[in-house]
Amino acid sequence: VGDQAWRWWRNLLAPLPLRPPGARRESEFAALCLRCNRCIAACPYKSLKPGGWAQATAAGTPVCVPQEQPCYLCMLCPPACPTGALEPITDKHRVRMGRAEVNHNACYAFQRILCRTCVDECPLPEAMTQDGELHPIVTEKCVGCGICEKVCPAPEVAIRVRARGDQA
Amino acid sequence: VTAEGKKPHWTTWRRFVQLSIAVFYIALPFANRAGFRAVDGTLAALKIGPVDLIEPAGALSTVLAGRHVTGALLAGVAPVLLLALMLGPVFCSWVCPWGLISEAIDRVRKHNSSGWKGEPWVVVRTVRILSLSAFLLGSIVLAMPLAAFLSAPRLVSALPLEAVYLRILSPVTGVLLLALLLFELFGPRRLWCRAVCPVGAFANFLRWRKTLSLRVDTRICACQNYSLCLANCAWGIDPRHMRPADGCTNCMRCIEVCPSEALTFGL
Repeated sequence: VGDQAWRWWRNLLAPLPLRPPGARRESEFAALCLRCNRCIAACPYKSLKPGGWAQATAAGTPVCVPQEQPCYLCMLCPPACPTGALEPITDKHRVRMGRAEVNHNACYAFQRILCRTCVDECPLPEAMTQDGELHPIVTEKCVGCGICEKVCPAPEVAIRVRARGDQA
Repeated sequence: VTAEGKKPHWTTWRRFVQLSIAVFYIALPFANRAGFRAVDGTLAALKIGPVDLIEPAGALSTVLAGRHVTGALLAGVAPVLLLALMLGPVFCSWVCPWGLISEAIDRVRKHNSSGWKGEPWVVVRTVRILSLSAFLLGSIVLAMPLAAFLSAPRLVSALPLEAVYLRILSPVTGVLLLALLLFELFGPRRLWCRAVCPVGAFANFLRWRKTLSLRVDTRICACQNYSLCLANCAWGIDPRHMRPADGCTNCMRCIEVCPSEALTFGL
């Protein structure tokens, strides 16, 4: 119960969340989303949940919190949307939820500890690579599914997805 | 001379339909999770097989807020609009689970008299126009679909889904439903359903001359001051003084209780 209460409060306070695959940019998404919950029901991984009050005019719209459950890019939710708030794309390479960013101070690989969990678990082969010193590098192909954020073994999660927000 | 015994028991049927839909919405998330996919969604947008059914007031609200229309949205709204144009706002009295809750609360609440006392429904009509305008204007100003956000049927059908899928009450749905419940308990009698709710208000304005509606034959009507139809109406309408779009939801209760044959339904 304590864990649920904590998640409930964190949900209230979450800034700029990750949106489901196919989502239009933040301002358009909040306007077009009917809050019908069909994308939430369509998700087989329970990666989506309704956003909290801290999102103000976007309250109740679906969000993905990768550290709880990332998006596995199964692409079942975009066709479920009745209003076009999620564009009905089926190609996971076209998803733009956001982009992962590595925190060099927390990442094991930057502390000379051998770790490539994020690179191994990334579902898009070209989205993550390693440089000559075996540091993880996020490329332009990253769609922001958040699987890396979920699997990162560092005590302070060292790779986080920055939501696309209002970028075109 | 009365023929009451021969009249169909509309209210029994109505309760049966309302309860079935409420039970359906409680069971649906469990069924969806077990792999049943033929029906899914909430009362904002429901999908039955390949057919999309989208609630028109909420849909209009998203179009105004987002300035974007998809063909899928229009295709989903069309059958609902058609039904509303033919049958009137039957959604409110026969389908909406919040309507059932509201009627139940109204039964429990203590009123000064057992029935309505001919409250001025002109005021209700004004509230309905102002409220729907505020919902639609607010959607444009805030760039969010207010009519969908605050739709009672959407909230009440989303609650079981969120509870089953997420194992937690969404703070947004929960708080909004609590506010609605308090309004229902302490606010003016059934005012949300009668005038404020954008879903019902929009459906009311869809009435035209071909919509199924109540017909009153004042030559047969024998009631003087106190009338059973007004006393029993769940929407506080006096059928004898009703104008079109005055909030009648075609629940048929007045026909049942009328001691004469003065009230009928027709196209």
